[in-house]
Amino acid sequence: MTTTQTAINTFVHETGAWVASQLEACTRCGMCAEACHFYQATGNPEYAPVWKIELVRRAYEQRFTLGGKMRVAMGLDKPIRDEELGAWSKIVYEACTMCNKCALVCPMGIQLGPIIHNVRAGLSDAGLVPEDLKAAVQKQKEIGSPLGATDSVYDQRIEWVADEWEVDLPMDVQGADTLVVFSSIEVMKFPENIAAIAKILNKAGEKWTLSHKAREVVNFGFYEGNEELTKLFMKRVFDGARELGVKRILVTECGHAYDALRWTAANIMDVPDVEITHVAGYIWNLVGAGRIKLKQGALDDKGVITFHDACKIQRRGGHIDEPRELLKILAPNAFKEMTPNKEQAICCGGGGGVIAIKEADPQRYKVFEMKMEQANRIGAKTVAMFCSNCRLQFTDGVQKYNPPFKVAGMSQLVADALVE
Amino acid sequence: MNWSDILEFARGPFFYAALLFFIAGMLFRFTRIVLLGWGKDRVKSKGSKLGGVAKTYAKAILVWPFIPWVKNTFNRNPIIYIAGGLFHLGLFVVIFLGAAHMLVWKSLIGFGWPTLPLPIVDWLAAVAIIAMLILFVNRLINPVLKLISGPAEWLNLLVVFLPMVTGYMMTHHLFFQYEMLYSLHMLAVDALLIWIPLSRISHFMFYFFSRTIHGAQFGKRAVSP
Ligand code: HEM
Ligand code: SF4
Ligand code: SF4
Repeated sequence: MTTTQTAINTFVHETGAWVASQLEACTRCGMCAEACHFYQATGNPEYAPVWKIELVRRAYEQRFTLGGKMRVAMGLDKPIRDEELGAWSKIVYEACTMCNKCALVCPMGIQLGPIIHNVRAGLSDAGLVPEDLKAAVQKQKEIGSPLGATDSVYDQRIEWVADEWEVDLPMDVQGADTLVVFSSIEVMKFPENIAAIAKILNKAGEKWTLSHKAREVVNFGFYEGNEELTKLFMKRVFDGARELGVKRILVTECGHAYDALRWTAANIMDVPDVEITHVAGYIWNLVGAGRIKLKQGALDDKGVITFHDACKIQRRGGHIDEPRELLKILAPNAFKEMTPNKEQAICCGGGGGVIAIKEADPQRYKVFEMKMEQANRIGAKTVAMFCSNCRLQFTDGVQKYNPPFKVAGMSQLVADALVE
Repeated sequence: MNWSDILEFARGPFFYAALLFFIAGMLFRFTRIVLLGWGKDRVKSKGSKLGGVAKTYAKAILVWPFIPWVKNTFNRNPIIYIAGGLFHLGLFVVIFLGAAHMLVWKSLIGFGWPTLPLPIVDWLAAVAIIAMLILFVNRLINPVLKLISGPAEWLNLLVVFLPMVTGYMMTHHLFFQYEMLYSLHMLAVDALLIWIPLSRISHFMFYFFSRTIHGAQFGKRAVSP
């Protein structure tokens, strides 16, 4: 089978009425382009969201619709050729964070983000995934982490965190209420996050546990659009949850993982009957229930603090208000919003696997420049966020550009402000 | 054959054939889509799907259907919003609130309704025509639109433009003999009726699918659609 045919088969397989009716609704007005930070930052028309879904549209029309068949016959539309697919691989993997901002701008309300995910799925089956991303996916498949956290590295790191920050990190506790699954970005690059979340949960008297089986929350298979691996990586998490008999899975500071586990899993695989939630919401619940107390105004004397909305945790995750409630306690006077914000916010530029792909660097930095500019405009001294993938991008960008703000994880800020 | 024969044909048998094709075509497309199958959404909601749908339609109807809600985007590309909005406004007013068209509706479905005074309808028709020209030029020069426009997109504009222009010329008795303009108008309308089910102008039907999905997806996540 040609690569094109493989890709088309996947497109068609993924195209239920849900996708088809939206493809039909598109008027090709091009407004979605203006929503996309990659287009805003570069002006490259190929980064227009509607162009990113062009392949699925053509596959669908030429396979399913009389109009589409007629247009091909009349020469008004071209069949898809092998040579074209590679070009789309560059667009959908290297210039899209799957943030779905475009859906808010599209006058027809088309869910472009999820449809771009379908394009990735087709390209993944056709074997047209950027090398860097493919390598990371393989690594997660083989050793359980795309960042090289093997079983023994994981154990060492967890042990080290427990020592260094003097926190209790319960492991494999049968019958705990909450299974906490960290991402290897946290394990390898932001270990202070692990300590912070542990401190918060311990303080709240939560019965929680880590799990060896479920030790990686990120899902590089989901970035790639590879359904088999997406399921495999989630199954590892769910197996851990089933084994320990927990009531809930708490996803830590990783957005894409949350999108996969919370909003996708139930529709593509068997999911244990547990609550799946995110620290962004959970911490606020703990505050609301009075299980932890925070120092009022703890951050007020440290200059302007702002919140960066992570696409998968805020706009696609639904935790828009909770972080703001937290910041209103921590910094009632110093907290300031960037514009645009909340569901309208633009991305950091590194999500959706983009940061893992070297070729994507130029546009990734250009988007970061826009975000940096927004933070600078309000004179931010601290940019806080709830996603360690965003934080990776911010840390990298801050190193490159040296802006006057520093980057902070929300869990960390909360942990530092706990009232003893 | 003279113009009155052509007119007889264009507003008689050809019109009814085109109308039938339009209705059958849209029904076909509707059923085709619905029968593709809707996977059940087994994900537990955080917010309310119904609430999201209600909110997105409220936003859409209270102002006008295609105003998106991103100021930032509006500032960057106001042409399509304003020209596109005025074009559709003119189009709807002419089709539903113009006296001549209301009578056509009355003859088709059996009842009529109050219409707007001619000068208003006339003005809006002119605005719609100018808006279409602006949309056309914009499509020619905007780099994104250049990239995504194939022959079908140009045809869409042309096929809607022709009935509008001939209709306008007719009401003002411009340039050509009335019967000839009337015939051309009817031929253009027939062409439009045939083209709609074959093209993206059918977006007026699929709009309700995509808006509903949009509202449900954002509502499910408790995010404002
Ligand atoms: C529920 C009803 C409708 C909605 C919500 C709607 C919405 C839209 C939107 C958002 C656009 C793109 C932006 C723009 O160019 O204005 C558009 C374009 C267009 N619409 Fe509609 N529309 C509707 C009904 C119709 C009808 C009934 C017709 C014609 C008979 C029509 C003809 C067109 C054409 C020709 C364009 C393309 C303009 C261009 O190429 O720039 N629409 N519509
Ligand atoms: S999902 Fe986000 S990054 Fe991707 S095309 Fe849409 S706006 Fe751009
Ligand atoms: S904004 Fe929506 S309707 Fe317009 S081109 Fe983009 S996807 Fe199509």
